[in-house]
Amino acid sequence: MPSFKLRPWFIYGLLLCTSACTKERIIGYEVDQVNVLEDKSRKTKKKNDAEFISILYTNLYQTAISPNQLYKTQNVLYSIGDQDVANEMLLSNYFNTSGITIPKDAVMRMDIDAFIISTFKRFYLRYPSEGEKAFFKQYITNNKAVTVEMVYTAFACSEEYQYY
Amino acid sequence: MNRKNFITKSGIALGGGLLAPYILPSGRLFAKTGSVKADHVVLVMFAGGVRQQESVLGRYLEDSQGVTGAAGNIMPNLFEGNAPNKKIAYGTSVAGKPNGSEPIPKLLTQSMEKSGLLFPEMRAQSAGHYVGLNTLLTGNPGTNQGLKVRPAYPTIFEYLRKHAGFKATDTWFIGNGIGNSTPLLNSSNHKDYGLSYGGNMFAAPVTFSSAGKEVLGNAKTYTRTDLEPMYFMKNFLDQSFALTKDQISSVSNTDEEKTQIKDFIKSVFAKQQAGQLAMPPVTDTGDAVNIMYAAEVLREFKPKMLAVNISGVDSCHSNFTGYLQMLHRADHITGWLWQHIQNNIPEMSGNTIFIVAPECGRNENPNPILDQNDWVAYDHSDANALRVWGLMMGKSVPNIRVGGEAQPVGRLTDIVPTIADVFGILDDVNNSGLIDPLARSLYQRI
Repeated sequence: MPSFKLRPWFIYGLLLCTSACTKERIIGYEVDQVNVLEDKSRKTKKKNDAEFISILYTNLYQTAISPNQLYKTQNVLYSIGDQDVANEMLLSNYFNTSGITIPKDAVMRMDIDAFIISTFKRFYLRYPSEGEKAFFKQYITNNKAVTVEMVYTAFACSEEYQYY
Repeated sequence: MNRKNFITKSGIALGGGLLAPYILPSGRLFAKTGSVKADHVVLVMFAGGVRQQESVLGRYLEDSQGVTGAAGNIMPNLFEGNAPNKKIAYGTSVAGKPNGSEPIPKLLTQSMEKSGLLFPEMRAQSAGHYVGLNTLLTGNPGTNQGLKVRPAYPTIFEYLRKHAGFKATDTWFIGNGIGNSTPLLNSSNHKDYGLSYGGNMFAAPVTFSSAGKEVLGNAKTYTRTDLEPMYFMKNFLDQSFALTKDQISSVSNTDEEKTQIKDFIKSVFAKQQAGQLAMPPVTDTGDAVNIMYAAEVLREFKPKMLAVNISGVDSCHSNFTGYLQMLHRADHITGWLWQHIQNNIPEMSGNTIFIVAPECGRNENPNPILDQNDWVAYDHSDANALRVWGLMMGKSVPNIRVGGEAQPVGRLTDIVPTIADVFGILDDVNNSGLIDPLARSLYQRI
């Protein structure tokens, strides 16, 4: 009767085959998948005057501000004690010019959800929280006089827009 | 809740409700401890470095250039004394006559010296411009004060807003430009005060310049109905961002005050366009333009406290003739501002105290720079540069001259306690421990 000699490689192979990984079980706890986004609390650096003006200008005109215009604007804003007043007037001045690229009021009313998200992304570079979304949706829906210009002014003059 | 508890809690709530509106930002229940001497103060920071010799001492060219017989007063609206009658170069220029040979006619029927309180020999605490301006507004010598940073100690605007409960548009600083850190003077960066108590500010010659008009002049005039939703949405966004106190970077005006300021800016551009701005008869300097805008702010806001700075006399570093001309014009525009308040702002007329003081003096000895008349120029760094004067006039201010060349009385740090004294908050300012320990209200110096 022939005798078998167990070789070490055979034993290792056998062990490897019998101790294979078990199939991973997917366990769900009824929580939906969510995307993790930038948090507003992480904006801690204040934009300097030049950054604020050039970012705002680019945001509204979709083109860069000229150095000369930037210099003039910086000086004028610096000459006013209340920076909110200065920024609001600058913005209002921009809104009174042609060449500004903003959605029409009808577009905002047609899909308020999309408008809110795009506005948050445009100004704050983040998605709105559920609370913010709900507030703006309710406010815009209930106040027919609210225009894109008003919403944009509120965002551009807000404190978060001063930070990055 | 039982009946007794209910009544007790309701009583506390009612009492709190009645008292809360009167609690000041400083935490005190009642506004002032001292008596209020006037409802308005206007401080003219007669800056740029003014030598005693050519100003209050009326020496004209006699001391500075060694021209015998050329003494005389070239500041007739502020001081008493006859004008010089030799080598007249401080006036305006008329075709066919030598440069500066036409003095500007005196505006006030009676000089400020004759109507008010003069401290002819005070002491500045620094021979520098920015520190001097700081001293005038903070009452602190500010020896460690750096350039390009806000005052280290609270300004009078902050004291008034915190302790007297003034609103932001009650306090104004009108700077004559954006150079030399001037726009930082409306508030300190002190942890207990700071921008949330700061005064409003315009560096007026820049705000209302052609660039200003280009950047701001075309702003829309929003109605209250337009503004309400904007502020409502903005306030919602700000609430959720919630800046900490040290992150606040602007003066705290209410929404109504902001609207008033915006309307004011637009109205000034409109007046400019229509040529309707009230201005001094001679308006050929940046200082005059600044005073003109200060007058507009006074007319619109009737502030409790307004400080305006001028600095044209600093040309003395290299042009003595220009310095004399600027000094003469600074006198003219200061006189005009007082006259304008009396004649055109009834709410302030008879109810304003007007204070004028330089931020520093100038040297005893000249530098070697000669001007077109071969007159030497003066810097500001020696003991003579610490010699200054102070003038006060207006409601119930006595007509006295306190001290003299041989008997100095008063320090520039006295200006802040004096203003605090006018508004009845002298104790608060003294108790803050943040002003010069040697400073006194000028009323106490008399």
